[in-house]
Amino acid sequence: MTTVAERTSGRASARQVAVWDPLVRLIHWMLALSVLLNGAFLDADGKPHEWIGYIALGLVGLRLVWATVGPRHARFSAFPPSPAMALRHLRALLAGVRDIHLSHNPLGALMVYNIWLSVIAMGVTGYMMTTITFFGVKWVEDAHEVIFGWLLISVALHVAGVAFDSWWSGVNLVRAMVTGCKNIPGGQDVK
Amino acid sequence: MTLRLWPVKTKERRATVLAGLILLQALCALFFVSDVVEDFRLDGKLDNPHLALETVAAFALISGVVFLMVELRALLSRMSNMQTGLDIAHGQLAGVIEEFFDDWHLTAAERDVALMILKGLDNDSIARVRKTAPGTVRAQATSVYAKSRTEGRAQFISLFIEELLAGSDHPDDGVRKLS
Repeated sequence: MTTVAERTSGRASARQVAVWDPLVRLIHWMLALSVLLNGAFLDADGKPHEWIGYIALGLVGLRLVWATVGPRHARFSAFPPSPAMALRHLRALLAGVRDIHLSHNPLGALMVYNIWLSVIAMGVTGYMMTTITFFGVKWVEDAHEVIFGWLLISVALHVAGVAFDSWWSGVNLVRAMVTGCKNIPGGQDVK
Repeated sequence: MTLRLWPVKTKERRATVLAGLILLQALCALFFVSDVVEDFRLDGKLDNPHLALETVAAFALISGVVFLMVELRALLSRMSNMQTGLDIAHGQLAGVIEEFFDDWHLTAAERDVALMILKGLDNDSIARVRKTAPGTVRAQATSVYAKSRTEGRAQFISLFIEELLAGSDHPDDGVRKLS
């Protein structure tokens, strides 16, 4: 019986695993949209820019709460910020190991925290510019600009990383962030 | 191969709606909280009714968000349990089918045809999929029925349904986990 079951499950090649819940997906794309709107389209001195900035801050805040109470793959414990794990992952990559991670891979996890922190820093410096104490203060404005540059680089790296990992592991990550399901190729173990 | 039962679909929609509500309500909560903080900063006192009302609204919204989050998490875990049950049933059924096919000594072509019959394809469609003449498929199907000692399509399919229904009598059956 076991051998038959193994044979058939091996033949039923790809399997779908629900990974990203709807809240994670909504927050992800809303955050992407607000970064795009604020970075590329809205007048930096206008009210809409301010509002979208606060929304982005709220989105990250909500995601952080969801990472403590949400389902398994959305939790901090599924993608701990660990440089050691990221290094090990990188070494495995260089050695040609194509492992699949159900949540973020260790490198991706670092990028996630980096982007969240950058957005928070953008929000905080942006808010400071509206206060009387820090209005027109040079270092706050500079910080807002520098962090924005850093955020742009991060987003570019994030997109490149997604493209690379989709090709490398054979799991279409963009599709996973849209439908919520990762399509795991047959006979592959996951972490 | 993607078997979709309707409860899964409605649950998915429910989860999406819940997530949207959480997001909207959390942003509203953020608005009220920052409004309260801003008013307090400008005004310096907490005792006017307007501010009190806003504070209550902010608390109500925040507890609403927390409640919806708990609800969404419970829903998601129910969905994942259901999926696990389906996966187990999937694997078991595939195993049962293979065992039957082995017992009947079906040839590779007959296995293919038999599986497509089980999936509900008619002879013409099977012929198209396998790129053979309809007559060949008819002959293969007849052979499958003969080897399985059934009298045609309906009886052939019901063999497996019967096996599944009877299967729940076994004490240690994976299908049990469905309940």
